[in-house]
Amino acid sequence: MQSKLSDIDLIEQTLAGNQSAYADLVKRHQRFVFTLALRFAKNREDAEEITQDCFVKAYRSLSLFQRQSKFSTWLYSIVYTTAMTSLRKKRVETSSIDDDNNAIQIESTGGYDENNAENRSRSYYVNQAIAQLLPDDAAIITLFYKGEQSLEEIAQTLGMEANIVKVKLFRARQRLKEKLERNLKHEVKELI
Amino acid sequence: MSNLEEKLWDYIDGSATADEQQAISLLIEQDEAYRAKYLELLKLDQEFAAIELDAPPMAFTYNVMEAIRAEHAQKPLKVTVNNTLIKGIAAFFVFIILALVIYLLTNITWSAGSVSTQFTNLQLPDMKRYFTGPIMQGFLFFDVILGLYFFDRYRRRISFSK
Repeated sequence: MQSKLSDIDLIEQTLAGNQSAYADLVKRHQRFVFTLALRFAKNREDAEEITQDCFVKAYRSLSLFQRQSKFSTWLYSIVYTTAMTSLRKKRVETSSIDDDNNAIQIESTGGYDENNAENRSRSYYVNQAIAQLLPDDAAIITLFYKGEQSLEEIAQTLGMEANIVKVKLFRARQRLKEKLERNLKHEVKELI
Repeated sequence: MSNLEEKLWDYIDGSATADEQQAISLLIEQDEAYRAKYLELLKLDQEFAAIELDAPPMAFTYNVMEAIRAEHAQKPLKVTVNNTLIKGIAAFFVFIILALVIYLLTNITWSAGSVSTQFTNLQLPDMKRYFTGPIMQGFLFFDVILGLYFFDRYRRRISFSK
């Protein structure tokens, strides 16, 4: 029953003192928030820490949520700010477009042998290529394709103008395409 | 920035104007190179949209709720105290001080030409009259009841949050 409630309904219930409503809200958004945090963090542990920090911060400021935008847009702006602060704090080196060594770890999603290039799905390569992008580019791609966010909403989340986000999205797609092609070429060479 | 690719991405995203959409649609139909590029980008778009979200550990929601509960439990008293209550107490004391000052000023006999002021008629109320046995007992009884009421509320809040 709870899952059918809208984000706003769950927020109302949380503000009325029902903490389990907030747990439902966390369950609903945790996968996306975690994925977005992974775009900035070097590893899953840091991403988990960022994600938890975001949900605690969001709970603390829930009464300040104006409801002029979607809850997800508001939440993602917290993720972006928290992740950027965490990056600065930990002085994590941002991965350069040409630096494959800085790729973010990708969790094994299946039981197959990941070292076997034949078994890898196309989705695996896309994820690998995203992990090699700059955090900002990876975040824009993720927000656009998986966050159900319009360019205006992404702009709100990142604190940028919508036309700048549009240009950034275009460039991020180009870089992602280049990365994907390069990774696939490398795999084909491995197979031969 | 590649103009061709930019236009095609706008077409795929649906962010181009109606006229532009129509023009690009025509180009895709008529121009082989354009169509090939469009199909390439469309395939990429589908692949990007098909990426899977990562999942946090199983106990993640529980950990978040535990962190929230822990934060509530550690919240310092100054944060939990209602600001209106503080302001109310401050206003009460300001009122008492002002009333006392006004009372003093109205009871001062100002002698003309003299530098000094005399408090000839000044008579402070006899406070001892108000602190008689039954009044003090009533006051203490009320305080005890109020204390128990707040203690009960505090205990209830802790048990609800658990």
